[in-house]
Amino acid sequence: MLKSFARAVSTAARISTRSATAPSTRVLEPLMRPTFCANSAITRPFTRSIWMMTSGSSSGHRPTLLNSSRGIPSVSCGCGGLHTEGDKAFAEFLSDEIKEERKIQKHHSLPKMSGGWDIELNGTEAKLIRTIAGEKVTITFNINNSIPPTFEEEGEQGQKSAENEPEIVSTPNFVVEVTKQSSNNSLVFDCHYPEDETGHGEGEEESDIFAIREVSFQPIGDADWKETSYTLNTDSLDWALYDHLMDFLADRGVDNTFADELIELSTALEHQEYIKFLENLSGFVKCQ
Amino acid sequence: MSLILRNLQSVVPLRRARLRRDVETLRQIIGVQKFDMGLICVDNERIQRINNTYRNKNTPTDVLSFPFYEDLEPGKLPVCHHREELNLGDIFLGVEYLMRQCQEESQDFHSALTVVTAHGICHLLGYKHGTEEEWTKMFQKEKYILNDFNRLTGSQLQPLTKRHGDDT
Repeated sequence: MLKSFARAVSTAARISTRSATAPSTRVLEPLMRPTFCANSAITRPFTRSIWMMTSGSSSGHRPTLLNSSRGIPSVSCGCGGLHTEGDKAFAEFLSDEIKEERKIQKHHSLPKMSGGWDIELNGTEAKLIRTIAGEKVTITFNINNSIPPTFEEEGEQGQKSAENEPEIVSTPNFVVEVTKQSSNNSLVFDCHYPEDETGHGEGEEESDIFAIREVSFQPIGDADWKETSYTLNTDSLDWALYDHLMDFLADRGVDNTFADELIELSTALEHQEYIKFLENLSGFVKCQ
Repeated sequence: MSLILRNLQSVVPLRRARLRRDVETLRQIIGVQKFDMGLICVDNERIQRINNTYRNKNTPTDVLSFPFYEDLEPGKLPVCHHREELNLGDIFLGVEYLMRQCQEESQDFHSALTVVTAHGICHLLGYKHGTEEEWTKMFQKEKYILNDFNRLTGSQLQPLTKRHGDDT
């Protein structure tokens, strides 16, 4: 399961980041902690010499480290970071993983959306912009947390073969902003992909491909959602009004075809960012 | 009580508000506004799969009805004692199939949607067209519904029901 791996990697990365942001003089501090020494298996002369350099003395006023028959699991190349056997294995694993992910990468450049949408990327956030007859339509989505969990049962062996691996599809929530020249407010639609349409189970799903969750007027150019603006929730909405809102979006190019293409774009972007993350992680682990 | 409309396909652009308005008019004519009903628009691939699963016919089609009440006497509305029984069932519209048919026969697509939905509602109400007698009853019902629809909307719609034995 590639993504369960991704989550494990993500946790490891957060721990690494904390070490990386610490001042270099603090990097050796953990060496003096008994709990750290307790986990070590061997004593490496190089490690000790570093300790001696930083302590400036071999007078023995740090008995826990010097007297320990167990050593320190790591070495440093002087880059300010640890290098353990685990890091080496981790880096090799990442290298294989990156190769595999590149092999299955469907799009080496992001797929184009039909309908003349311009795309702007800012990390994991993407904006699609189109102007029709003086009206500006902006779609914003973020690929973080855009992959719904899979609930399929494991096979008898407890593992699934690569062929049976469910395809990873990114179905992000997306916000549509429609701005008219004559207005100070944008009409904003908070949209999502209902979960039962994303390929779980064998049954016939009966949700729309995408749905509107909320509609609100928001001041143009305000990045923050203005909570004092009335927000229309579609849970208890007159169905006829809902259909008119869906037709309104369709007239501005946001229909089922758009929603299908957005999934393709978002999936490609998510995969691209995932590989980039693995590469950064690999470089971080190897201190490159 | 309400008409649940779903559009599960990307092949045919659909005007949801117009479809709802026309189907609500049909429901009003038939007198079934108090019943829930599902109207699900699908492409050829999906309607073929459903047709194969439930009717053993591996081809796309225009409309498939799944009545909530399976043994209704045609023309008689179900007697319901609980809120959850106020349900007629679901109609799957093969909108891709219908669109192609309309293109071939130079017909109006939204008119065709109304005609096949009227046909589907009749099936939900127990009408069938397996025998000559069943066909006559169903044809008359559809004709009555569409005449009323034409009168209210100024349309000129004709019933879909084909001769008995035809596969619709």
